[in-house]
Amino acid sequence: MTEAAHPVSLPRRQVPGAKPGTGHFEEFLAHPAKLMLRAWRECGDFAELDLAGMRNVLIVGPDALEAVFRAPDEQLSAAEAYQYMVPIFGEGIQFGAPLELERQQVKMQSTALRPDRMRGYARVIAREVEDWIAGWGDGGERDLHVEFKELVLRTSTHCLLGSEFRAKLSDEFGALLHDLELAVSPSSVLDPYGQQEVFARRDRARARLHELVSAAIHERRRSGETHPDMLQVFMEVSYLDGTRLSDDEIVGMVIWIMFAGFHTSSNTATWTAVELARHPEHQANVAREIDGIYAGSGELDFAALREIPRLERFVFEVLRLHPPLVTLQRRVKSDFHVHGHVIPAGDTLAISPYVTHRNPESFPEPERFDPERTYPEHVFAYIPFGGGRRKCVGNAFALLQVKSIFCALLARYEFALVDPPESYQDVMPSLILQVSEPCRLRYRRRAG
Amino acid sequence: MRVKVDLELCQGHALCQEEAPEVFRVKERPGAYDQVELLDERPPASLRAKVESAARHCPNRVIRIEQE
Repeated sequence: MTEAAHPVSLPRRQVPGAKPGTGHFEEFLAHPAKLMLRAWRECGDFAELDLAGMRNVLIVGPDALEAVFRAPDEQLSAAEAYQYMVPIFGEGIQFGAPLELERQQVKMQSTALRPDRMRGYARVIAREVEDWIAGWGDGGERDLHVEFKELVLRTSTHCLLGSEFRAKLSDEFGALLHDLELAVSPSSVLDPYGQQEVFARRDRARARLHELVSAAIHERRRSGETHPDMLQVFMEVSYLDGTRLSDDEIVGMVIWIMFAGFHTSSNTATWTAVELARHPEHQANVAREIDGIYAGSGELDFAALREIPRLERFVFEVLRLHPPLVTLQRRVKSDFHVHGHVIPAGDTLAISPYVTHRNPESFPEPERFDPERTYPEHVFAYIPFGGGRRKCVGNAFALLQVKSIFCALLARYEFALVDPPESYQDVMPSLILQVSEPCRLRYRRRAG
Repeated sequence: MRVKVDLELCQGHALCQEEAPEVFRVKERPGAYDQVELLDERPPASLRAKVESAARHCPNRVIRIEQE
C-alpha cells in the first residue's frame, strides 16, 4: 500500500569511505561482515555500497527482508548475482542452468535430504563422531577448527558418496574441494575466468572430481547395488521430462552440496565449541540435558536428536552471532519497491544475516551471547539459513549434524579456552565466516 | 484451534508429517518443492500437542496455530 501512496523513491544514503574507482571493495575484501555492519550503523536500513562499480543496497529490517525473500526469481535474481560460482559447480548446474532446470535441481537436493533419508544419515554421523573421538583420551588440547574440518569432511563424504568412497577417497576429495574453494574469494566475484594459477588449479580439480565421482557412479551401475546415500538419489531422480542427471550434472550436484554444507557446518561447530568454553554455566546446563537423553534411550537416533531444546537454543544463538554466510545477494531485474524505496533494475540487493542478527530492535543488547534470550516472532528477523523459496534446504541436516557432534562430545568432555576469551574472533579469509586461527581449546573427561 | 500454513515459504521438508500425520500430508509436486497439505484445518484438541510439535519442528516456520 505504501508503495502506491509514495511513488517517489526515498533517498538512500551512500556509505562514507568509498575510494575512487573501487568504492568500498577493498574494505569488502578485508572483512565483508564488518563492512556491512558499518554500512548499516552509519546509514540505516537502505545503505548504498559501491563494490568496484557494482551498486549494492544493503537491506536490513525484517519487513523489508520479507518483501525481498517473497519476491519471485524473475524480479530478484540469485543466478545473476552468483555467476562466479558457475566454473565451480559446472555449466548446466544451479546458476549455470536456466531457472526452470535449476528449480528442479534444488528439488532433487531436497529429495536427498528428506526425513526418511535423514534417519540413515543420523546413524552415519553418530558412528563417525564416535570413531573420531575414540582416541581423545582423558584430556588434552586441540585446535577445534582443524578437528571439525576433518570430522565434517568425513561425515559429509560418507552421507553423500557412501562408505566405500569415504574410506578410500575422502582425503583426496577434501584436497580437491580445497582447490575449488581457493578459487572463490571476494575478488573472484568480479572475474572468475582470469588467467590466474588459482583458476587453473580449480579447473584441474573440477576435472579430477569428475573422474572420481563418475567412477563411483559406473561401479554402482555395474554392480546393481543401491546405497543409502545422496549419490544414489542423484542417480535415480529425473527431470520433469524424464531425463536423468548426466554424470557431469551429478558431479555438479555433489560439489554444490559440499559447498553449501561443509565449511558452514564445520565453522558452526567450531564457534559452538568456543562459545561453550566461554560460558561454562551454559555448557554445564547443556551437558546435563544430554545426560538425560542418553539415560532415557541410550542411543542417539534421529528421533532423540530432534528434541534437545537447550542445545538447540545454544546453537541458534551461535548462528545468530556467527552466521557462516554473512551476505546474500540478488540482482534486481525490474524495479523493486520496498518501504517507499525504489531499487532500480541493475542494482544488487545485499542481505546480511550478520547485520540483521545485530539489530537491537529484534535482539536487545545484540552483542551479548545469551542462549536464553527471547527470539522475535518475525520469521525474517532471524535468517541464518536465508529465507523464502531459496532458503537453505539443508538446514535440518545441518542442525542434526551439529547436535549429533555435541551430544557425543559433551557426554564425555568439558571444554575450556586456552587463550584469552577476546582472542577468538570472527574472521573472513574466504566468503565464509570462521573463528580466527589457531582455535585452541582444552578438554577434560567429565567427572562421574 | 485453527491451523494455517504459509505455502509460499513451504519447501516440503515433511517434518510436520512426521509429528502429526493426522493433520499434515506432504504432497509430491513434480519439478517443484514438495508441499504440505492440511488434512484438517481445525484438528481436535486431542491433537494439540502433536500440532504444536509440528509447528516447532518446521525448519521454515510456516505453520501457525490460532485460537478460535
